[in-house]
Amino acid sequence: MEAIRNALDFSDFPRIDRMVALAVVLLLVTFPLFPHSAFAMATMIQFLMFSLYGMGWNTIGGYGGQVDLGKAQYVGIGAYTTTVCLLRWDIPFWVSMPLGACLSIGWSFIIGYPLFQLKGHYFAIATIATSLVLKDIFEVWKFVGAARGLGILPFKYQTPDFLRLIFKEDVYYYYTIFGLFIIGLLYMNWFRKSRLGFQLRSIKDNEEVARSLGINVHWAKIKTYAIATAFVSVVGSFHAVYVKNIEPEDTMSLDISILIALMAMLGGAGSLWGPIIGAGVLIPLKSYLKEWLGAAAGLVGIDLILYGLIIMIISAFEPRGLWGIVEKIRRRKRI
Amino acid sequence: MRRSLKCARLLMGITLLTALACTGAVMAEEIKIGVLFPLTGGAAAAGRELRSGAELALDIANNAMPDINMTMAKNVGIKSMGGAKITLIFKDHEGNPTLGADLAKKLILDDKVHGLMGAYHSSVTKAVSAVAEQYGIPLINDSSTSPELTKQGYKWFWRTTPHDVYFTKDLFEFLKGMTEGKVKGLAAVPKKDITNLASACEKTEWGAAVSELIEKFGKDYGFEVKKSILYAAKATDLSSEVRSLIAVKPDAMLFASYTSDAILMMKTLKDQKAAPKLLWGQNAGFEVPEFVSTLGDTTVGSLTRTVFIPKIAQVKPVAAKINAMYKAKTGNDLSGASARSFTGLQAWVHVLEKAGSVKPADIQKAANAIEIPGDELVVPWQGIKFAASGEDIGQNTLGMGLIGQYQKAADGKIDLEIVYPFNVATANMIYPFPKF
Repeated sequence: MEAIRNALDFSDFPRIDRMVALAVVLLLVTFPLFPHSAFAMATMIQFLMFSLYGMGWNTIGGYGGQVDLGKAQYVGIGAYTTTVCLLRWDIPFWVSMPLGACLSIGWSFIIGYPLFQLKGHYFAIATIATSLVLKDIFEVWKFVGAARGLGILPFKYQTPDFLRLIFKEDVYYYYTIFGLFIIGLLYMNWFRKSRLGFQLRSIKDNEEVARSLGINVHWAKIKTYAIATAFVSVVGSFHAVYVKNIEPEDTMSLDISILIALMAMLGGAGSLWGPIIGAGVLIPLKSYLKEWLGAAAGLVGIDLILYGLIIMIISAFEPRGLWGIVEKIRRRKRI
Repeated sequence: MRRSLKCARLLMGITLLTALACTGAVMAEEIKIGVLFPLTGGAAAAGRELRSGAELALDIANNAMPDINMTMAKNVGIKSMGGAKITLIFKDHEGNPTLGADLAKKLILDDKVHGLMGAYHSSVTKAVSAVAEQYGIPLINDSSTSPELTKQGYKWFWRTTPHDVYFTKDLFEFLKGMTEGKVKGLAAVPKKDITNLASACEKTEWGAAVSELIEKFGKDYGFEVKKSILYAAKATDLSSEVRSLIAVKPDAMLFASYTSDAILMMKTLKDQKAAPKLLWGQNAGFEVPEFVSTLGDTTVGSLTRTVFIPKIAQVKPVAAKINAMYKAKTGNDLSGASARSFTGLQAWVHVLEKAGSVKPADIQKAANAIEIPGDELVVPWQGIKFAASGEDIGQNTLGMGLIGQYQKAADGKIDLEIVYPFNVATANMIYPFPKF
């Protein structure tokens, strides 16, 4: 009960933050009711997916200060569990999704123990390596379709199928991922105020001091890594039924890991709103720059140049991300 | 009074003419086809070729060019639809299946396209075809060769290009022919000299399928595949892959690579002084113009399967004509990629002409019934006729492939010469592959 109260309690944020957050949530709820293009809907779904990925990364990467660049492996575990369960045994999404999360958590415990013996750059490199190794295993594992992956044939199911999460209209996918987004947001609000959340911040500030206070640093990191993993795995499961075609090179690529970290870092690592702001800026920016300036306008590649330039400017201007800029402005006003 | 009556008549005449013109314009509605190609990323060079090929076909379809011996060149637009013109809406999928699926949805729901074409990468085509199937929008695939694509039982998917079962079988028929002395300018090669094979294929839908087929046909034809490697097309270093290929001392090295990785593979093979007797690429990166312009003499002696070699122009007047037009437009000869996108759009024009409407059901019916004769095509196929049932539903049953070898002409220019099929070979084969 206490946990639910904590999750719903945003009172420690300034009034303006709460008002903006409420406005954004209302906007998200009503978005499908306004006239919109299919492209805008796909962009919104991507935004919500990457917000959730970012929230997961933010636990270990933001609050815990451990730069994890291997999250794609858990996208893969979630996506493959759901697809294999559906194709082989016709297991509904709502069963395979938690199953995927459990498998991901199990895998995270197995690799988390040795991983957290490492620190700093070595940890980051090791997370990349574990992710790539798992991808390589999936690429030769015939049971999961090896390098060619697996595809869900949409015409085999009567849509809308709420159990298997097979829809023709994206609006169903939108509200599903929006529901998961709200649950994720509330969980993160609880997490940052939880015992583990405080432990992590002290570990991030000074590991030795945290240890001297009696915090089991290694165990705290492993637990948080598992939480981050569960977030990513759940969205991975959603990705599988949304895209309906998964293969290791696409689902578990290093690009996905980097993008997940980039969203949270650029939005503001270690803050509740950071990953949402990061995804809210980067996903539409990427999609619409491509749409307006890309192939259709005949300026192939210019969208990527601008996209890269904007990322560089933000990182150079405020390394703590967009949320860092907001806080900087607030501090100046107070002075 | 008489003068004002004259003016009124003139005015009425103009109004009537304008109205008629407008009615005609309304009758001739616009036909929108969404085209998905990789215009950025590792296969951008192939994407440019594909786009230029499709644009040239569009130009011919929308304007009357009676000197070209093609049905689509005879009329302005689609005759059965009152001269309706086709518009192509290009989208760049970067070789990313997820993005490809999103863009397909955008084309169908936002741009309201009447049909789709693309998407080169088999992995992207697989994702796009699932979207097309779900929305009941016809998709004609011009250039993806994974056999799996026409084995899914889709009702809205047709493929003009032959797939890798055809192409890989061609390779082994060619190797068998080498041992039987069927290759032009080459005495029979003892089988033991080319029996050991090694393959390296990029690891998405296409490359993985090719790798499996090489192993299957290798076994069937009595060759030994000593090593099969899958690698990432985005890789920036292929040293270890090449080392492991060289380690098994293969007689022939076989590749399935996109553009940037095909170039990197050749450079790495050269750096590590690989010495195969035969080097073969499964089209794609091995036949884009950048392959030769970047690597130069290194390419001489390497083989690639393809569906178009400029030398075809010597025996096919229509190919000569279109190749000349393409060269004037882009500065390059048609390649396997551009020839296939040209042919893909040509198939679309025939389907629309037969359907006489843009209703998906009419297009579906027409696609299952069309038959384009081979002499209208730039590619050396017997024609285009899609299988309307069976295991390979939607597959063109009249396609075939070629194997070409890069050779240096007297003027120093490197060209592809046909070495297979043996009866249309245009030059003596260079064997063994010259040392790097």
